[in-house]
Amino acid sequence: MARAVLDTEVLVIGSGAGGAPTGALLAEAGFDVLIAEEGPWVRQGDVIPFSLDQMERQYRSGGVTVALGLPSIAYTEGRCAGGGTEVNSALYRRPPAEVVERWASLWNIRDLDPDDLALIADEVEKELSIGMVPGDRGAASERLALGAAKLGWRHEEIPRWMLYPPGATHRQGKRQSMTETYLPRATAAGARIITECRISRIERNRTGAVSARAVRTTEAGEQPVEIRFRHLFVCAGAIQTPALLQRSGWRRNIGGALAVHPTVKLAARFADAVNCPDDVPVHQVKEFTPGLSFGGSASNPGLMALSLADNWPGFGHAISDWGRMSVYYAAITSEGRGRVQALPGVRDPLVTYRLTARDRALLGSGMARLAMLMLEAGATDVFPSMRGGSVVRNRRDVGELSRSFSTSRAGVMTVHLCSTAPLGESDRCAVNSFGRVHGASNVYVNDASLLPDAPGVNPQGSVMALAIRNTRAFLQEHRPHA
Amino acid sequence: MARLTSEQFIHAVVDPYARFLLAEELGDLGPDRRRAAATFAVHRVTTMPSVMRFGATAIAAVFRLLLAVPVGGPAIVRWLAHHPLPVLGEYPRLIRSLTFAYVWETWPTTTATGGS
Repeated sequence: MARAVLDTEVLVIGSGAGGAPTGALLAEAGFDVLIAEEGPWVRQGDVIPFSLDQMERQYRSGGVTVALGLPSIAYTEGRCAGGGTEVNSALYRRPPAEVVERWASLWNIRDLDPDDLALIADEVEKELSIGMVPGDRGAASERLALGAAKLGWRHEEIPRWMLYPPGATHRQGKRQSMTETYLPRATAAGARIITECRISRIERNRTGAVSARAVRTTEAGEQPVEIRFRHLFVCAGAIQTPALLQRSGWRRNIGGALAVHPTVKLAARFADAVNCPDDVPVHQVKEFTPGLSFGGSASNPGLMALSLADNWPGFGHAISDWGRMSVYYAAITSEGRGRVQALPGVRDPLVTYRLTARDRALLGSGMARLAMLMLEAGATDVFPSMRGGSVVRNRRDVGELSRSFSTSRAGVMTVHLCSTAPLGESDRCAVNSFGRVHGASNVYVNDASLLPDAPGVNPQGSVMALAIRNTRAFLQEHRPHA
Repeated sequence: MARLTSEQFIHAVVDPYARFLLAEELGDLGPDRRRAAATFAVHRVTTMPSVMRFGATAIAAVFRLLLAVPVGGPAIVRWLAHHPLPVLGEYPRLIRSLTFAYVWETWPTTTATGGS
C-alpha cells in the first residue's frame, strides 16, 4: 500500500493523561494539532470494566506485560484512545505538595511551584468532575475502612473522576476519562485524532525532528504513513515514550530510571457477600504512607481465580465462594529502579526492574499488615497470592506469613509506571524543566515519563497537572503558524 | 516440509502444555472448555511483547519436548508446575494464570476441580 503523507503543525503521540490535555490546550490556542493514538477508540459501555474483553481491546498485549527481574513484576499499559484513563481505577489524587517540593529541589526543576500546580489541579478536578461516591461505597470498600478503623489506622475515601446521575449507586457512575473530557475538547477546537496509528520512528534533522514514520491499521490493511510536523509532543507513556525516543536516536538519560509502585495482593473471604465484579473499592489506608498503602483491586471471578492460582491445591476450594471474597493490595514506594531499552530489530522494548532489599522487606511487611487488616475487617480466611502460602485465619498465622514471605514466591505487580524521562536541570534528567528533550529544539515529552520518581499516590493527577503546566510554558514561547 | 509461521509454532508448543496443565489441575473441566481455555492462552502468548514472547516460546518448546518423552517427561513437567524455579517456573505460572482467569470469567460457577 502506498505511503500516505500527513502534515500538521503539532504532532501529539498518545492520547492518555498527558497527550489529551496537551492536544486540547494546543488546539484551543490555535495550533493545527494531530493526535496519533496506537490503540482503538472504544466507547464506554462497549466493554465490561476489568474484563478479559477489556484487556484484549484496551490494554497493550492483552495486559500480559512484565518487567523482567528477580522477581519479575507484571504491569499493564492502556493502549486505546484515552490511554490508561479509560481502564484504571478512576481514583484521583492531586500532586502532593511535599512531593512537588522534593522534585523541584532534588532534580533542580525550574519554576515548579506547588501552588501553581495546585491551581492547575483545581482546573483538572473541575474538568473531570472529581467527587466522592454518592451513598454506599460498596461492601468491599467499607470492609477495608472498617478494618482500618478498628486498628486505629488512618484511612480515607479517595475521590474519583466519575459523574453519578441522581440516585445512582457506586456502580452507576460514568467515568470522566480522556474520551469524555479533553479529547472532545481537542476535536471541538479543530484537532484531528487518528486511532490505530503506531509511530515506529521519528525522523531527525540536525536540530530536532521533522517527521514520524507510522503504520495505520485500517479495514483495508496496514497503511504506511509519514506525518510531517513543526513541533512534536511524545506522550506515549512511561514504556513506549522512552522506547520511541531511543529508537529515534535520543538516549541521554532516557529509559534508565523506571519507577513503579510494586504491589502484592491477597484475597479475603467474608461471611457476607462483598464482591463487586465491575468496580474497585474507593477507600485506601494511609497509616504507613508514603512508604506503604493499602487498597482494593478488581475482583471479578476470573481475577479472583488468578489471585488464588499461586497455591491452587491449598486455596482453590475457595473459588466457589467468590461472591463473598474480594482482592486487596499492599503497594509500596520503591527505592528500586528499572530500565526500558529499545532493542535493534525488535518491535517492543525490553523492560527490567530491580527491587532493593528494603523494597522486599517492605512488601513482606505490607502483605502481613494487609492480612491483619483483613482479619480486623471481619475476614474469616485470607489467601495471600504467593506460591506455597498458607491460609491466614488469626494473628499467629499473620506472624507465620511475615516469616515465610518471599518476593520470589509472591506475585508482584504494578499499574503505575513513571520516570523514564525525568524533567529538570540536574545531570540525571532526560528533558529540561518543561519537557523539551536535550539536543532537540522541537521535541517534548509530556506524560508519566516526566515524573522524577513515583509519587506515592495514584499518579494520573500529577501527570495531568505537569502536562498542562508544560503545555502552557510552550504556549508562552510559541505562536500558531499563521 | 512447510515452514510454520510464528503463530503456528506458538500454538504447536503452548497448546499441548496448556491442555496438559488443565487436565492435571482442573480434572473435571470438559474437553470443550479445556480447548477454549488453551486457545485463549495461545492467543495471549502470541500477542505478548516481543522479548517476552521469545522467552515464553523458548521455554514452551522445552516443556513440549518433555511432554513428548514417553517415560518420565510428563512427570518432570508435573514437578516443574509446582516448583518456583527461576525462569522455568514462570511458564507454568503464566499458563495457569491465563487459563484459570479465562475459565472463571467465562464460566463463573465452575468448581475448584473444573466441574460445571
